[in-house]
Amino acid sequence: MTLQTDRTDATRANFRWAIAIPLALVLAACNAGQPTSEQSAANEQSVVQGTVHVCTSCHGFHGRSVSPRFPNLAGQQKDYIAAQLKAFRDHTRADPHAHTYMWGMAATLTDPTIDGLADYFSSQKPAPGTTGDPTLIAEGGKIFKDGIPDRKVPACQSCHGKNGEGASIIPRLAGQHPGYIADQLDNFISKARANEIMHENSKNLTPEEIQQIATYVGSL
Amino acid sequence: MGGGFGAYLRRSIALAGMGVVSLFFAVAPANALPSFARQTGQQCAACHNGFPELTPYGRLFKLNGYTFGGGQSNLPPLAMMIVEDYTHTQAGQSGGAKTHYGPNNNFSLNTGSIFYGGRILGDYGLGAFVQMTYNDPARSFHWDNSDVRWAHATTIYGNETVFGISVNNNPSVTDLWNTTPAWRYPFQSSSLSLTPSNKTIIEGTYSQQVLGLNGYVSWNRLVYAEVGGYHTLSQDTDMALGIAPNGTDSFRGMAPYWRLALQPQWGPNSFEIGTFGMDASINPGRVTQFGTNDKTDLGFDAQYQWLSDVHRASAQVSYITEHQNLKSSFAQGSSTNRNDQLHSFNAKATYSYEQTYFGTLAYSRIQGSGDPGLYSSTSANNSPNSDWWTVEADYIPFNHGGPDFWPWLNVKFGLQYIWYTKFNGATTNYNGAGRNAADNNTLYGFVWLTF
Ligand code: HEC
Ligand code: HEC
Repeated sequence: MTLQTDRTDATRANFRWAIAIPLALVLAACNAGQPTSEQSAANEQSVVQGTVHVCTSCHGFHGRSVSPRFPNLAGQQKDYIAAQLKAFRDHTRADPHAHTYMWGMAATLTDPTIDGLADYFSSQKPAPGTTGDPTLIAEGGKIFKDGIPDRKVPACQSCHGKNGEGASIIPRLAGQHPGYIADQLDNFISKARANEIMHENSKNLTPEEIQQIATYVGSL
Repeated sequence: MGGGFGAYLRRSIALAGMGVVSLFFAVAPANALPSFARQTGQQCAACHNGFPELTPYGRLFKLNGYTFGGGQSNLPPLAMMIVEDYTHTQAGQSGGAKTHYGPNNNFSLNTGSIFYGGRILGDYGLGAFVQMTYNDPARSFHWDNSDVRWAHATTIYGNETVFGISVNNNPSVTDLWNTTPAWRYPFQSSSLSLTPSNKTIIEGTYSQQVLGLNGYVSWNRLVYAEVGGYHTLSQDTDMALGIAPNGTDSFRGMAPYWRLALQPQWGPNSFEIGTFGMDASINPGRVTQFGTNDKTDLGFDAQYQWLSDVHRASAQVSYITEHQNLKSSFAQGSSTNRNDQLHSFNAKATYSYEQTYFGTLAYSRIQGSGDPGLYSSTSANNSPNSDWWTVEADYIPFNHGGPDFWPWLNVKFGLQYIWYTKFNGATTNYNGAGRNAADNNTLYGFVWLTF
């Protein structure tokens, strides 16, 4: 019984605290203000640096990621990185993982910051190729170099380069996680990631062929 | 139940009202903790492997002081959580499971919480996770797990090093893995079933009754070290924060807490192995003239997560051994031995499909020295030992964003069954009044909403 009375008193007293603590925190947060949009060049450098720290939480140190869910960014084409970040920002790249992870990350990036990030990641040393089943690699290599003419699958290297290094807005594929490559080809086929060119290029590939290509480019 | 259910309904409606108010704050898509999701702009699956278990990125988000951003929302980082539940025990509890409740088959509003989750001064690396909770079975409104931290990332000899400081109210609430007591399984459990009476001090004995200052460092995302010190709050402060002060203990001096963890990661795998512990000199019941009870907890833990896209698995184990030097209790005649041991073992494994359907199996065990002085009121054979299995199935439909009409919602529907093979010392007639361990077997259903 005495315990109950204590509780009732406590409830009244703590109600004030309950209101006061979150309120104080909210006021502190509001006072902190919004990041200003006009940033000097030196400031921009530190914004990019701070942002890189956040990006690498998923994409790995220097953009060489550990988990296949997160694509390697190290050595990726600068223009491609910038174009993709803008596509995440305006939601034109809308496959499921883009939505889960990248829309939020890109939402408040300014063009100069995007430029700085693209510059940073494109100039990092690419991740080395990974080993894989040699027969998958051999089959994948054939498709990459020659395509599959009777099913209108073009040679990937005609755009992505002999060594899968990419150019401008065409991405580097060399050394990318096979799991990520396969996911993206599925996304192009299903149009979850809207891109006419890559949809046409990939729509006639079988799941086995996707596995072969992914293992091949991952090994480069 | 009877009138109980009416009252329960009224309170639920009141809470739903609070919820509607908070919707005005929450206008952007968000998930668990919705305010974190608003701040980062990410869906809850980015940080959580079925909330509240953390993914590697979720751990880094916490490590860096809850300050990562990207989202467009400039709204205050407030979030709400409501847990409504139903408890059935194999045998009822005569006299009611708690005041205001029937002996069995009780519905309750387990938890209504309001959170501050996110940046305070993001540019300075200052952020917070602060929870205020209403628990209906206890009829109490109190401060819950809270962690206000500052973090700073830098590069030392080419390796990322993150330093941080936390002010918090529960030993291990600062931790990044779901193995240490504050954030380990079970993530949700009934307040209306009987649970084993004994636990080590680091397993929440002093949660919210202490204030701690911890410093931590993470090196290369591989090594994590933390040290801290906790001190108990005064009874007045307890009361002001909604913690019933009756029967609380006090620490003599600072109780040190430590943590060391190693976390190798490869491909979709993330592994952790570590140790943690705490050492406290306690004045039981705040009585000082008999000296202190000195308790030392030493814990070992390991976690493994395999997070692929469709199928996921995770497992956690921890073992805590506590040495008790019971000078004060012995002098007061409330313990029979001068020295006792208490050990706690917990293991759990979860499989999930598409981050939507979750199945969990867990085993827990408490084992220690028999002591009539300490345990005769709960155990007929004066033993602290308990042993139990838990199976749980969860359905989390909105890990990738809520329904169109309510996108900032996340919800977990859970069904849990606890099977006791030993309870407070025995399998049968553990309390000397004919109650068997199996009588406490619990079927527990809950709906856990966050928005
Ligand atoms: C929470 C984890 C996470 C964080 C943090 C994150 N990303 Fe990503 N990012 C992803 C995932 C997952 C994908 C793959 C998306 C997909 O499958 O469509 C991705 C894709 C990308 C891509 C496209 C790569 C490609 O090959 O098409 C770029 C570019 C990118 N991220 C840059 C960034 C930058 C810059 C940041 C920091 C501002 C960042 N990311 C932060 C998870 C993250
Ligand atoms: C006509 C030029 C062209 C050809 C041929 C081509 N691609 Fe592409 N590919 C592109 C472009 C452009 C993009 C970038 C799409 C975007 O911006 O979303 C791309 C993107 C990709 C991506 C996504 C990479 C990432 O980091 O997200 C993969 C995987 C890919 N291509 C694989 C292939 C394969 C396999 C082939 C051969 C079967 C192929 N491409 C042939 C132009 C081409």
